[in-house]
Amino acid sequence: MRYAIETRNLRISYGKKEVIMGVNFKIPEKVVFALMGPSGCGKSTLLRSFNRLLDLNKDANVSGQVLVFGRNIYSDNVDVMEIRRQVGMVFQYPNPFPHLSIYENIAIGLRLNKMVQTKEELDSRVKWALEKASLLEEVEDRLDDFPSSLSGGQKQRLVIARVLAMKPKILLLDEPTANVDPVGTKNIENLLFELKKEYTIVLVTHEPAQASRISDFVGFIYLGELVESGPTARIFENPQHELTDRYVRGILSIGDKNGRNTN
Amino acid sequence: MLNFRKIKDKLFLTFIFFGAFIALFPLFHIIFTLIIKGMPVIISRGTMFFTGTLSQGGIGPAIVGTFILAFLSSLIGIPIAFLVGLYIYEYPDSKVSEFVRGLLQIMLEFPTILVGVFVMDILVIPMGTYSALAGAFALAIIMMPYVSVYTAEAMRNIPYTYREASFSLGLNCFKTAFRILVPIAKRGIFTGILIAIAKVAGETAPLLFTAGGLYEIYPHGISAPVGAIPLLIYTLIQSPSSTDHATAWGASLVLLLVFIGVFIPIRLSLKEVKL
Repeated sequence: MRYAIETRNLRISYGKKEVIMGVNFKIPEKVVFALMGPSGCGKSTLLRSFNRLLDLNKDANVSGQVLVFGRNIYSDNVDVMEIRRQVGMVFQYPNPFPHLSIYENIAIGLRLNKMVQTKEELDSRVKWALEKASLLEEVEDRLDDFPSSLSGGQKQRLVIARVLAMKPKILLLDEPTANVDPVGTKNIENLLFELKKEYTIVLVTHEPAQASRISDFVGFIYLGELVESGPTARIFENPQHELTDRYVRGILSIGDKNGRNTN
Repeated sequence: MLNFRKIKDKLFLTFIFFGAFIALFPLFHIIFTLIIKGMPVIISRGTMFFTGTLSQGGIGPAIVGTFILAFLSSLIGIPIAFLVGLYIYEYPDSKVSEFVRGLLQIMLEFPTILVGVFVMDILVIPMGTYSALAGAFALAIIMMPYVSVYTAEAMRNIPYTYREASFSLGLNCFKTAFRILVPIAKRGIFTGILIAIAKVAGETAPLLFTAGGLYEIYPHGISAPVGAIPLLIYTLIQSPSSTDHATAWGASLVLLLVFIGVFIPIRLSLKEVKL
C-alpha cells in the first residue's frame, strides 16, 4: 500500500533541545489523520516537517526520513518549492494576506508560481478554489473586498481556497479552528469531510473531541514521542497506552508521568 | 480616606496635564511666532515671494532648490537604504547585519556638518564647484539610516504567520519579501521615507559646504550650485538688513509649510493595512 506520508525515525531538535524524538508512522491516502496531544508537545513542529516549512527556522535540525508518496523530501535533490505546493498548509491564525483582495489572495500564488497562462484561466481557477472551499456563495459578489471584512471562519476557508488553488495532494492543518467561533468551526469540519474524498488531510488539534469527530486515524503525541496511533474508533474506545487513555478522558496535563516538561 | 484618594488622583492628573502643556508649549510657540512674523511678509509681497528671486524680494530659487535636493537625495538614498533595511530584517543574525545595525545607529546620531565636510572632500573639491549633486549626496547619507531602520522595523512587525503562509505556497524568499511582506509593511516603510524626506528638507549644516546656494537665478543643472530654504534663512539672518530679516521670517513660514505638506497628507492618504 502506498502512503501519503510516512516518517522513519524522525527526530527534530531546536539547537540542543530535542522536540521530536524518533517518530514512526504512516498516513494512508485520502483520510483525515489527526495529530493530537497537549499544547507544546511538538505537534506543530512535526507538521512543519511534512512540507519543509521547518527550513525557515535556522535552528531546526531534522534527521530521519519523511516520505511523501514514497519520496524522501529531506533528500538532496528535492525541489522544496514543489514539495510545498504539493503539500499545502493552513495555519492556526487565519492568515489571508491583508493587503490583497479576496480574489487576489487566491490569484497571487497562481500568478507568482506561473501556474496559469491567461486571465480566463486565472478567473476560473480562483472560482473553482472558492467553490471547493465552500466559500464562493458567500463572497461571490465581493471578490474585490479585503479579507478583513470576513469572519474568522470565512478567513480560514479563504486560506484553504488559497491552498487548494495550488492543486495540492495533501493538506496540513495546524489547529485550524483554534481562533474560529463554533459555527465557523462546524463549517470547516464539514468542509474537511468533503475534502478528504480527494485529498489527504493531516490535522493538528489539541482537542480530543475534534479528533474523534472528524478523523479516520489518530496519532497521539506526547512530549515529542508518538505514544500511540491507529484508527480513531479504536484509539478512543480501546486505548492501549495509559497516557492515551488519560488524554482522551481529559485528565492528562503536561509534564505528567515521567515528570518531563517541555519548557 | 476615599476622598483623600480622589484628591490625590485629581492632583496627579492636573500635574500630568501641565507637564504635557509645558512640553508642547515650544512647538505651539514656534508655529505661532512663524505665523505672526512670517505671514505679513508673505502677504505684503504676494506671489512674488514664491516666484521672485532674492533681489525681487522672493525666494523662488530656494524653494525649487529644496525640492530638487529632496528629490535627488531620495533618488540616491532611498533605494539603497530600503535594501539595507530588508537585508538586516532577512538576516538578523549575520555578522554583517550586526555591523550594519551598529553603523546605522551611529549614522542616526552623527553630526550632520561632518557629513558636509566629508562630501566636500570627495565631491566638491574634485568637481571644483558646489553642486546640487554634492548637496543631494550629503542629504542622502543623512536620510539613509531613517529609511533602513524604519524598513527593518516595519518588516519585523509583520506577524510571522504571513511569512510562513507565503513560503507554504511554494514562493521563494524574493517573492515572499517583495510581493507579500513589503506590501504588508508599506505604511511603516513610507512613514520612514517621509520622516527622512522631512528631515533632509529642513537640513542646513550638510549643505553649507556642498550645495553652495543660488538665489538670484533658478537652478540650471545638477552639477551647478543650488539653494535651499534653510540655507537661505541661515544666510539672510546673518545679514544686517532688516529687509533680509523679513524675508527670512517669510522663508521660515514657507519651510514650515513644506514640512507639514510633506508629512500630513501622504500619511493620511496611505491606506492602513488591517492585519
